[in-house]
Amino acid sequence: MSILYVLIPLGLLMLGAAVWAFFWAVGSGQFDDLDTPAMRIVMDDDEKPPPTSDT
Amino acid sequence: MTACFHCGLPIDPRHQFWVEIDGESRPVCCPGCKAVAELIRDSGMSNYYALREAPEPGAGRPADDAADWRAFDRDDMLEAFGAIDGDDAEASIYVGGMYCAACSWLIESTLTKQPAIESAEVDPVTHRVRVRWRRAGTGLGRILDTLTGLGYEPQPLAPESGLRPEVAEQRKALKRLLVASLGMMQAMMFAVGLYAGDFEGIARDMQLFLRLVSFVVTTPVVFYSARPFFAAAWRGLLRRRPGMDLPVAIAVGSAYVASVFSMLTGGEAVWFDSVTMFVFFLTLGRFLEMRARHRSIDKSAALSGVLPNTVTRIEQDADTVVPASRLVPGDRVRVRPGEAIPADGTLLTGSTSVDEALLTGESRPQPRAVGDALVAGSVNLDGIIEMRVDRTGPDTALGTIRRLAERARYARPDFVQLADRIAGWLVVALLGIAAIVGGWWSVTDPERAFVVTLSVLVVTCPCALALATPAAFSAAATRLAELHLLVTNGNAIEVLARATRVVFDKTGTLTVGAPSIVATSGLDPARSEADYEHIAAALEAASTHPIAAAFAGRAAGVRATDHRIAVGEGVAATVDGVRWRLGRRGFVAPGSPADQDDPSRIYLGTGGRLCAAFDLADSLRADAADTVHRLRTIVPAVSLASGDGEAAVSRIAASLGIGEYRSRCTPQDKLDMIRAAQRAGDTVVMVGDGINDAPVLAGADASVALSDGALLAQTNADLIMLGTSLTPLVTAFGAARWTMRIVRQNLAWAIVYNVVAVPLAAAGYVPPWAAAIGMSASSLIVVLNALRLSHYAD
Repeated sequence: MSILYVLIPLGLLMLGAAVWAFFWAVGSGQFDDLDTPAMRIVMDDDEKPPPTSDT
Repeated sequence: MTACFHCGLPIDPRHQFWVEIDGESRPVCCPGCKAVAELIRDSGMSNYYALREAPEPGAGRPADDAADWRAFDRDDMLEAFGAIDGDDAEASIYVGGMYCAACSWLIESTLTKQPAIESAEVDPVTHRVRVRWRRAGTGLGRILDTLTGLGYEPQPLAPESGLRPEVAEQRKALKRLLVASLGMMQAMMFAVGLYAGDFEGIARDMQLFLRLVSFVVTTPVVFYSARPFFAAAWRGLLRRRPGMDLPVAIAVGSAYVASVFSMLTGGEAVWFDSVTMFVFFLTLGRFLEMRARHRSIDKSAALSGVLPNTVTRIEQDADTVVPASRLVPGDRVRVRPGEAIPADGTLLTGSTSVDEALLTGESRPQPRAVGDALVAGSVNLDGIIEMRVDRTGPDTALGTIRRLAERARYARPDFVQLADRIAGWLVVALLGIAAIVGGWWSVTDPERAFVVTLSVLVVTCPCALALATPAAFSAAATRLAELHLLVTNGNAIEVLARATRVVFDKTGTLTVGAPSIVATSGLDPARSEADYEHIAAALEAASTHPIAAAFAGRAAGVRATDHRIAVGEGVAATVDGVRWRLGRRGFVAPGSPADQDDPSRIYLGTGGRLCAAFDLADSLRADAADTVHRLRTIVPAVSLASGDGEAAVSRIAASLGIGEYRSRCTPQDKLDMIRAAQRAGDTVVMVGDGINDAPVLAGADASVALSDGALLAQTNADLIMLGTSLTPLVTAFGAARWTMRIVRQNLAWAIVYNVVAVPLAAAGYVPPWAAAIGMSASSLIVVLNALRLSHYAD
């Protein structure tokens, strides 16, 4: 069972790395918008702005 | 038909221009494109035409009325739109009309060729260019000019004003939630090992090691994720108003300290798993509640994004582009089709239609003629218009909406304050119970005293009770704002839910506030009534009097000439050689008895003889009957109060099926009527226009006003319906009742939970981890139940 003394600290290190990566992602704004990504799949790409005429 | 070599639009063969590029003569469509193409050629950038993708027709074509950017060379403009850095300056510019990689190449190379420009970086994805230049050599205005000369539509961007506070809050909350969730999962994993060890036997070293790693993962959860709870508990103590965070802080803090002590002394048990789980569930509940709050902020942030950064101001000598923030009342600005109206104002020249969907929810284009009011944030759809600025910034209707929405969000209704006070007392009572339980157990069974007391503390935390009302109210206010109903006074929702009588004002509320023809009676059988209507409409065609609106569109091709308007009397004109008069009886037939003068009746006649009479009345809103009908299924009594004459009011009341009405009311009469109903035990909601009847509205238990954009700033009511439709009133009543139902469900749940859980915990049947789950689940249920309001639809 002494392998646990190596594996658990190793797991904690990976946990620390994961937390660091997540903090970095939050800090760079990747989680600022939690609503639109879910909607994006149903949005049309080819939507044109409303027509305007210079008359 | 050939296409323009530069912009790709078809060329009118009668107006064809030529430009020589790479030794070949190329056709272009206009002098502007010719100039741009020559500029590109002379800068040695003919490669652009080889590199670019097939042009979208019209792209890159210089606008006919290109903006004048000279004002942007000044330093004060630079401060508004860029940053000064010693001898250098920097600015971000949005480049409209950029459509392929060749464009970014063209912009970058043209700009960097200018000696004073140090760098120009184009981001083709966001269509932005970041320019850095020496201030001695050039200026922002000249750079914008260069871009305009290339055929793009540049738009200087105001610098980002830091992180929005709610974004910063959400980022922090997400980090806290993640630390709590990872810490909880890890602590649970090690707890499984420890519990298994309790049953199967475990080496002392291994037990200490597992407790140690549990301590390592729990510490950040307590000191980072749970910090807001400690801070709030401390603030509550300082203000001598213990809140729901106090028991949380005591439970988390004491369980953590006891676990550390137990770990160091080799004690019976540790509670790191309970601590992390408790913090995780609480953080999750707070996160959901915060998201519900932010959703309404996002709404108003969307409202602020609709105003243009720059506007074209009309000055004596020329048009100048200025930042929208520099506009002052009295300025004249030009707005092109597709642009947003930058401020509240009045249309001076031109006619157009505007899209006010953002402000009123009305999606049909609204026609606007000279003299009409324009509202900031609406979009000019058709014509190039000039407008006079009347109100800017926070004084505009848009600014008012934002302010009201803001106020509603932070207002704490009496009902919520009461719940807060009760929760505060409850906290004190529960701490007392915990102390008594702890004392009793430490006498009878000192070994279990700490565990049982901890369970009682955790399980009784009145979080669910404290969240029950505010969560429901903020979810309801957000949903109503989405439906274009602004709650300006938090008490309104509660009053609406228990209202027993609705009193309507008539003019401008149930009716549109402008007259229309309700009856035509022919007095001379020589012609049909329809003929008389056509003639009357032809006569009124030249008039701007409000009554003329009643006849609009009824002329059916009949034309009148030689109009003459007698102010306050009527109008005369000639139709097919016959001179007609339309107006008051005395004007049409001089000498007829004056006592028959009825203001709502006008006459048509010729040669002093009356031919037809038109009865005019304010017409009902299209959805008035339906609204009143549906309202009667919700509220027991509906009545009508109006300052108008008996005939008009009784007719409206009858057509709406309202039995109780009062006519010829002064504001004092209306107020007395409301007071009398209140004395009789009614809870009265008054619906008016919010301006003329403000004192009456203030006398009612709750007031609702119907407002379109222009007059919003003066509107005074607890609940404001944006737009011209009455239907949202039914929604408001329905939503209010549902909100109170959810509040009651939440309170009932919180009370039942506590009544069941406290005795069980005090008797020692609930281990701390189960207490943490029970308490957290109960507050999560309350928040999720409140969030159901975000989907309310009637």
